[in-house]
Amino acid sequence: MTLSAVSLRGVAKTFSSGTEALAPTDLDIADGSFVAIVGPSGCGKSTLLRMIAGLAEATAGEVQRGDGAVGFVFQSPTLMPWATARENCALPLALTGSGSDAGDALARVGLAGFEGAYPHELSGGMQMRVSIARAMVTRPRLLLMDEPFAALDELTRFKLNDDLLTLWKQNRWTVVFVTHSIREAVFLAERVVVLSPRPGRIVADIAVALPDRAPGARLSHAFTDQCARVSAALEGAA
Amino acid sequence: MTRYLPPAAFGVFLLLAWEAAVRGAGVPAYIMPGPVAVLAALVNNAPDLLAGLAVTLEVTFAALALAVATGVLIAVALAASPVAERTFFPYAVFLQVTPIVTVAPFIIIWVSNIFAVLLILAWMAAVFPIISNTLLGLKSVDRNLKDLFRLYGASRAQTLWKLSLPSCLPYFLGGLRISGGLALIGTVVAEMVAGTSGTRSGLAGRLLEASYRLELATAFACFALLSASGLGIYALLQWLSRRLLRHWHESARDEQS
Repeated sequence: MTLSAVSLRGVAKTFSSGTEALAPTDLDIADGSFVAIVGPSGCGKSTLLRMIAGLAEATAGEVQRGDGAVGFVFQSPTLMPWATARENCALPLALTGSGSDAGDALARVGLAGFEGAYPHELSGGMQMRVSIARAMVTRPRLLLMDEPFAALDELTRFKLNDDLLTLWKQNRWTVVFVTHSIREAVFLAERVVVLSPRPGRIVADIAVALPDRAPGARLSHAFTDQCARVSAALEGAA
Repeated sequence: MTRYLPPAAFGVFLLLAWEAAVRGAGVPAYIMPGPVAVLAALVNNAPDLLAGLAVTLEVTFAALALAVATGVLIAVALAASPVAERTFFPYAVFLQVTPIVTVAPFIIIWVSNIFAVLLILAWMAAVFPIISNTLLGLKSVDRNLKDLFRLYGASRAQTLWKLSLPSCLPYFLGGLRISGGLALIGTVVAEMVAGTSGTRSGLAGRLLEASYRLELATAFACFALLSASGLGIYALLQWLSRRLLRHWHESARDEQS
């Protein structure tokens, strides 16, 4: 029996080249929580996420995942350029034969009316929205996001952060969100897990207490204080 | 329209200069006919030449269709396993670098049906670009999209149909444009080597016959028809490529911007 959405026991990853990406790691992620994983480039945070998704094998330890579908959002929108927004969004339905309506998922990320658009006709932010809609369409219990907004401009990023929080509150997914932005991690997540440089290991596990996460909260003292804590943990590990 | 004006004007200039040079120097038509004489030969022998052209194009398109079918199948098989690719790809290269005129005598001895002989030789000329381009495309599929298909438990058939084949379409079409020209060249070379003659012979056979009889105007007319066919095949495949890729691939989008 697992109460956690994700449970890692001594999970480690060494690449075939001999590079140790992730030191043995224990991590439990509670069902319905929003957890951010931050760390410097190459600290194994993406590898960790890929192991949770089952896209990479752990070289040691055990990865356990709760029941239900999994959604994955990549750093790039990763859309099929020959397919419309609706066809891209409906791909998981075609592959698994279950889930909700692609048009509905697009509407929920604010893309009603763009169902017939091809990826090249959409802005970077809109492409990422299609990618999120596609991850939502199978009604996942667990949403894994690998630096999804890293390539976007700051305004678009803030907007997508706000919208993601709204969607999370509506759907109560468990979200594991990898980022290298401290501010993004603190704004989004209830809990920030800080990894050290390679080989990654958990150096801090910080519960973020923010009174509210309205867009204006990015300017509050509480917010900057929390950012300073995460920042100190990152610097202490370097 | 202004795009086509300069090349068209240059072509007219070349034809006029050619006609003027032949007339001015008084060269006899059995050495070098002018374009007017060539046009006259084309019109006078039209039924005969067009029948020959039909035979040549029939072989060309049959060979191209066969090259597409076999080339894609071979590429899919080679892409499925690195061992298969290492084992068999060198033989595909072998097929490509072997001049078909050197293989023709064997094929002619082994195969009695002349259409089949021409088909085999033209296929040999045309298949390699399809194999190598399709294989390159199949190996260039976006890594994240592959992960996505894995995440949703896609079968190999689903991944092939929904991801790998659409991804490699631009590469395949690039190969197809090359193969279209090669199929025609292969057919013409094969017709010449096989020495086809008579009513069922292709345009290359007519060209040789005309040159033996010193009917150079007719030979030039055959040549002009073959060149025009080559350009036509290229234009057709170019149009097909743009049509299939217009919604999504960079190569087909430059005219909109």
